[in-house]
Amino acid sequence: MNIIVCVKQIPDPETPAASFKVDEAAKKVIPAQGIAPVVNPYDPQATEAALRLKDADGGGKITVISLGPDTARDAIKHALAMGADEGVLISDPAFASIDNFQTAAALAAAIEKVGDADLILMGRAAADWDMGVVPAGVGQILGLPVVTVAKGIEKDGDGLTVTRVLDDGFQTVKAPLPAIVSVSNEFGEPRYPQLRQIMMAAKKTVQVWSAADLGIDTGASVMPLEALYQPKVESNVEIIEGDTPEEKARNLAQKLRAAKLV
Amino acid sequence: MDFALTPIQEEIRAGVSQIMRGFPDSYWLEHDESGEFPVEFTTAMAEGGWLGIAMPEQYGGSGLGVADAAILMHTVAKSGGAMSAASAIHINIFGPNPIVVFGNEEQRQRWLPPLIRGETRTCFGVTEPTAGLDTSSIQTRAVRDGDQYIVNGQKIWTSTAQEADKILLLARTTPREQCERPFDGISLFFTNLDREFVQIREIQKMGRHAVDSNEVFFDNMPVPVEDRIGEEGKGFQYLLHGLNPERVLVASEAIGIGEEALSRAASYARDRVVFGRPIGQNQGIQHPLAESWAELQAAWLMTMRAAWLYDQDLPCGPEANGAKYLAAEAGKRACERAMITHGGLGYAKELHIERLYREVLINWIAPVSPHLILSNIAEKALGLPKSY
Repeated sequence: MNIIVCVKQIPDPETPAASFKVDEAAKKVIPAQGIAPVVNPYDPQATEAALRLKDADGGGKITVISLGPDTARDAIKHALAMGADEGVLISDPAFASIDNFQTAAALAAAIEKVGDADLILMGRAAADWDMGVVPAGVGQILGLPVVTVAKGIEKDGDGLTVTRVLDDGFQTVKAPLPAIVSVSNEFGEPRYPQLRQIMMAAKKTVQVWSAADLGIDTGASVMPLEALYQPKVESNVEIIEGDTPEEKARNLAQKLRAAKLV
Repeated sequence: MDFALTPIQEEIRAGVSQIMRGFPDSYWLEHDESGEFPVEFTTAMAEGGWLGIAMPEQYGGSGLGVADAAILMHTVAKSGGAMSAASAIHINIFGPNPIVVFGNEEQRQRWLPPLIRGETRTCFGVTEPTAGLDTSSIQTRAVRDGDQYIVNGQKIWTSTAQEADKILLLARTTPREQCERPFDGISLFFTNLDREFVQIREIQKMGRHAVDSNEVFFDNMPVPVEDRIGEEGKGFQYLLHGLNPERVLVASEAIGIGEEALSRAASYARDRVVFGRPIGQNQGIQHPLAESWAELQAAWLMTMRAAWLYDQDLPCGPEANGAKYLAAEAGKRACERAMITHGGLGYAKELHIERLYREVLINWIAPVSPHLILSNIAEKALGLPKSY
């Protein structure tokens, strides 16, 4: 089974709030000083899913694609160190400020250029913007079925059986191949790269494709960013007085009712 | 000048951090209390190929340098495992260096792959009750008898001897008085720690309970000649070769422990409210912690510089010693400050600060005391008369 895994490099979600800054005029997040970007935490789970499927299938190739600046090479190398076979970086100044739809178009073009994919796996969302729409976008462009938020993926004859995570339980669906599946954190802990694999990954060449290589024009943003700002959260603390726990509870209930919260 | 980690170093840090997340504080506290060797941890590190990080690739290692190994050990120590984690694998990382550099091909083939795979556990028999830092005074004798040596004597502070099946053993093959120089006549062996001829007695100690420290008594232990590394009588020179990397690794471990203690102290100081405000808003709390941050950062830069020098095949004695000195002092002070920041809770086992403090003291005392480091730096870096 030939599998393509899309991975993304993002600002470290563990960045302390004090170091997270936004340039409201430029509508951009200012990279935190001294905090290196990381692989989107959902993406190693997509890679893990690909590795398990490949192992179970007994063959095939896993290609990792990332769209981003040159540093995104590290996200690809991480997947290669986990055991993926090849890496492609889509990097072009034209992609610097593209929206989800343009991202989906670029990824779809790259997936077609890699060719012969039975399955495309992605993390359920990128933990920076947390929108989770790119899998659907790529599916729309390529005309492939899309199954989102998977906690389990199994090869089932010529297709897949996928267990999805819902708000109130799980759902099992079947999908034909080729298909796009986004993988959730419920899939389980991804394997950690062994040192030997890290060394082998370091020696592997990552192909770099530009917009011209993909034959695409990013065009105008479908969903232009209007404003980017950090909301100001104000909170007040009020200690509810009372001589007994019952009285304190009564006073609290009255306060909540007066505030129309209950 | 590039201070950034290489992509491989980033992966080392991420990969080892991921392993260490499987061994939380509770694991290390349980092992601290039971004194059991952290077998699950060493197995995970061996399976990940981490034990061979600095060993040559043709024997199953990864051929990386001491800077990379220092990042590995820093990550291990910083996890909360402190020296109970670091010491459990420390010997595998650079201990076999004399075999790599001075052993013959047959020995390298015979010894290195099982060490890298974690199948062979070794210990390091150098220090003796009457010869600590003054290594030329060792009394353990290896007397040639045909195609073997017969070893008699005693070692002390031999870490992991309870678990080890091999020992890297320093023994005198020619009496000191018959040698031209005090460090001549000492040979280095890598051989079976044969319980039939060896008695191992564990030393009860302040910290690092999960990794045993021992007295080892040799009673007519036979050692085949083919287990001698390099030439007879040159063992001390062979040993010296590995001392600077060891200083660098011990420094990186001390910094890891100090950073972990500091991080816990800062977190506590942010959250703990006394007199209506977080204690971390008080400069009396802030300044010592900030000072520790600066000390640990400086020690790390010194450690990386010493590692870089070693990896470039440049002399690095004063730098490696200086790194170990600064790192141990900074690590110890950070743990002390973490404890006073936590107040009484710092003394309680459940917050792990007291454990980090007990463990970082090893890096302060061993493998060389701060006093002798300063004497060495005074001599080697400042050209002052030798004082020891």
